[in-house]
Formats: sequence, structure tokens, C-alpha cells
Amino acid sequence: MSGFGDLQSLASSITAVTSPFRNYLNDLYERYRSLDDGAVADYIPELALAKPEWFGICVITAEGQVFEVGNCDQLFTIQSISKAFVFGLALEDYGRESVNSKVNVEPTGEAFNAIVLDEATNRPCNPMVNAGAIATADLIKGANSTERLKRLLAMFKRYTGREHDINVPVFLSEKATGYRNRAMAYLMLNFGMVSDRIDETLDLYFQQCSILVNAKDLAMMAATLANGGVNPVTQERAIDERYVQDVISVMLTCGMYDASGEWCYRVGMPAKSGVGGGITAVVPGQLGIGTFSPPLDAKGNSVRGIKVCEDLSRDFGLHLFNAAKPDRNLAEWLAGGDGLNDW
Amino acid sequence: MPKVVSIHSYRGGTGKSNFTANLASTIAALGNRVGVVDTDVPSPGIHNLFCLEPEQTTTTLNNYLWGDNPITDAAYDVSANIGLTGEGCLYLVPSSVKADDIARILKDGYDVKLMNDGFRALVKSLQLDYLFIDTHPGLSKETFLSIAISHILMLIVRPDKQDYQGTAVTIDVARQLKVRKMLLAINKAHSQLNPEALKQKVEETYHETVAGVFPLSEDIVQLASEGVFCVKYPEHPVSQEFRKVAQQIVEG
Repeated sequence: MSGFGDLQSLASSITAVTSPFRNYLNDLYERYRSLDDGAVADYIPELALAKPEWFGICVITAEGQVFEVGNCDQLFTIQSISKAFVFGLALEDYGRESVNSKVNVEPTGEAFNAIVLDEATNRPCNPMVNAGAIATADLIKGANSTERLKRLLAMFKRYTGREHDINVPVFLSEKATGYRNRAMAYLMLNFGMVSDRIDETLDLYFQQCSILVNAKDLAMMAATLANGGVNPVTQERAIDERYVQDVISVMLTCGMYDASGEWCYRVGMPAKSGVGGGITAVVPGQLGIGTFSPPLDAKGNSVRGIKVCEDLSRDFGLHLFNAAKPDRNLAEWLAGGDGLNDW
Repeated sequence: MPKVVSIHSYRGGTGKSNFTANLASTIAALGNRVGVVDTDVPSPGIHNLFCLEPEQTTTTLNNYLWGDNPITDAAYDVSANIGLTGEGCLYLVPSSVKADDIARILKDGYDVKLMNDGFRALVKSLQLDYLFIDTHPGLSKETFLSIAISHILMLIVRPDKQDYQGTAVTIDVARQLKVRKMLLAINKAHSQLNPEALKQKVEETYHETVAGVFPLSEDIVQLASEGVFCVKYPEHPVSQEFRKVAQQIVEG
């Protein structure tokens, strides 16, 4: 086939556009773009600037095939989605037992910003609620605040394959108004659950939430986890393979705020959402999904993102515990066989 | 299930637009809902055959590709213009003939994903049975795209060496894009050539089916580029040959 390299690569870029799976995603996009339920987060003015009509869906396979529809390049702040990945870095820094002695992994029915610690052990419930995420951020190693932040940014780069910036106005607003998080941090300091570099750790936490990503980044991060911790495009390892299961299992039980139980039941994909409108969802061994649509439901999850994940899970049988034969065979739809009626 | 048919030729002047208009009209006359998209953005022309004047087409494919309008806004029902009666109907999505518009799309390009999504939106909202894509000669982004999404690729070839060579290139590309079905049509065959022998020779060269052989027809030339020959002269041998090709499209 020598001499056909360019033709082959052009042909494959075209077939990625025309593939039945991308057409399926485009149908989802068309189906839900007019759905106008939910409201854009507005607890700080910077988030309220997001346009409700922004909508992007990106799916990346564990082999690195990329399918995108809609606003997949639009940047937004990662918010709570960062928590799952920073938890992974803390595990690498301190190991499972040590991290678990500071942060439990128990789902909670309480709101994400509840000021609640476990009565017996004084630990926050899990790394996905604010208290748990602050305790996790406290564990990130580094000689000073700059070094700790640079380690976080380097980690996100390993997951997505590109450099990330911080939205400074969002960071400053979160910092200026984060009284509740500050209270939480001091309560944990009182119980000796976090170190006394409170201001530095809170800054790091507000910064990690203000990192700018797009739907494609979220899909790549999930695809990296789906691929055992190795970015399927750059082939760079983003997280020690021993801790992939820790991150994914906490996403499954705690990733969708206090809707995690229903999400696990209905969708059955480990996922993490953020109030910026993003959702990252992992189908272990197969896919990473990234969705972006700012309007949120009452529990803080992206309304259109939920719909997209529900449909993908149902149509392709991607629920972790699915045993029934799905309507569509994922491998066939990715490969684009002749017999598919994708019109 | 709707069928997408791309009409392509490697070189210009093969009679591609004329062929597209006649074949699409023949299939519409069988009672089908048919759409034709002129993706020849650098040199649009097929609107003339459907008697659609540029003044009537305020919205074109260009507007859709720039994100100004949904593609259905650029679809014009031309059934009456060409005298189509009965169940079938024909919609045309023209490209802009304004020099500024052509320059803009050549300069800025467009997102090829949009073209794909537009074809699908068109088929769905107009409930089309057939979508014909008229392409720019040669190989380009939209050629690749139209080949990749087609259920049937029609290659128009004139019986001369330059066309033969170019067609071989296109067939290579089409196979690389895993095209589902390919049909060849020989156009502008001289009266001295034996159509049956010509068909056999071309089929042997490319290992693909020749769906029809069309003579260099003065009758068609006389009609110039106004109106669709097959609808006006349904009993003419050329129209009968188009019906033969249409049959293979419908069955294929």
C-alpha cells in the first residue's frame, strides 16, 4: 500500500465524518438541541455568561477514533469534573490507604456543598463533594503553590494531550465568594484532617475548578480512563494503572452529585459532571464521552448531557450491568458496515 | 430507506449536470420524492436546467454552509418548472452564482461535517426517497464526502483517453472510501461507435457495470441548458436509456 498513505489518511478523515456512529451522534444533537429545560449556573456572574444554546457531543474510542458534533471546541470551566482526576493524582502521591484515611468513598444524599463530616472518623464522605475535594487538593504534593498548580495542569495535559489555561475571573470570583468552602476547610483543619496551608489549598481548589476545557477534552479524559489510563491518541500514560479503578468507581457511585444513584441505575456509566455544563463519562475498555451544554437541572447536572448519555447507554447497551442484546451493535456502528440503516 | 446517489466525473464537460438533471427527473417521474444538491460551489450551473433563476434563489447552499440558514431554506420545489406531474416531486438546493459568494467559500472554505449533516437534514425534513449530489469535476473535499456517503456512485465517462485515465483515479479513490455501489455511464459516444462493444470494453477495463450508453445527441444540444430533456421528450431513445439507468438505481 506504499504511496497510498495520504489517500488513506484523507479517506479515513472523511469516513470519520460520514460514519454511521457520527451520524447517530448528529441525530442525538438534533433531537436535544431544542430541549430548553434547566438553567445556566449563576452563583457567580462569570458562569452566567455561558450561552444556553451551546451544545457539543464528543465520543472517543479506546483506540483513539474521534467523533464530534456541535460546539466541541467551545471552552468552559471544568468545575467539579476536576475532582475525579485530582483524586487520581492524590492516590499517586500517597497511595490508597493514606488517601482513604483522609477522605471516605461513601456516596451521600446530601448536597455537594453540605458541611458534613463523618461523625466517627471526621472524614468528608467522598472526594466528589466540595469538602472531600478540598481535602484531596490538600494532599497534592509540591514545594509551593505554583509547583502544586503546575503538577495539576501537567496531569490534565497528559489526559487531554494539550495545554490548559485557567479562567482567572472565574478563579477570582470563586475565591472571593467561597465562604462556605472556607468554612468547610477550617472545620476539617479543626479535626486535623487537612494541613494548615489552608489558603494555599483553597486557592489550588478554586484554580482546579477554573481550568478551561472543551467537550473534546472531556471525551479524551474519559477515553484515557477507558483505555486503562493511557491517552489513546498520544499514547502517554496519565495515571498509574493501579488507580484507574479507584477513580472510575468513585465516579460511578458519587460522580453525579446527589443524583448518582439514579444515574447509576438508569445510565450505568461512571461519570462526573460540573456546573460549567460538562459531563465526562467512561465506558471501560470501550469509550470516553464528553458532553457540554450549560443549562443544569435542579441537582446541578447538564440537562442535555444527561439525555445524550441515557440514549447512548440504551441504544448501544453501554450500561455497566447490561445483559440484554442492544438495538445497535457498537462495534458495527463504529466500523460502519454496509447493512446499517443510519438514514 | 432513502438512497443517496452521487454523480461525478473526473474532468469537466462530460455532461454531468445534464445527466444528473435527467436522471433525477426520470426517477421523480416514477413517483418518487427527489432532492438534488448542487455541491459544485466553484462553478454552479444545474439550476438553469430546472429553470430556476438566480433572482429567485435568495437562499443557497452557501448560506447553509456559512451557518446563516437551515439547509431546507435553500431547497426549492422545481417540480412545476420542469413540468413534472403526478406523485413525484423534485427539490433543488442550488449553489450561489454571485462572484462574491463563490470567492468567499473558496477563500474561507467550509466545514465538511456541515455538508454531511445538511444532506441528512434535507433527506429527513423533505422525506426524500432519493438524494442526488451533483459534484465539481475532479477530486476535492466535497467529492470525497459525496462518494463516502453515497449508496450509489455514478461516474460519467466520455469515450476518450483523458477520461479513461481520470476515471481510473476516481475508481481507486472510491474503492478506498469503500463505496457501496458504483455504476458507470458513457456519455457523448460518437455514432460510429458500437454502444454494446463500447460498454463491454469499459466494463472489462474497470470491472464495474456500465449502466447506460448515451450518444452525442444533437437533440439534447438543441435544447441547450434550458429544461429537462427526459420530461419534454419521454419517448426519445435518450429518455428511454435514462429510464434504463433509473431502473438500475431503483433496484440497486
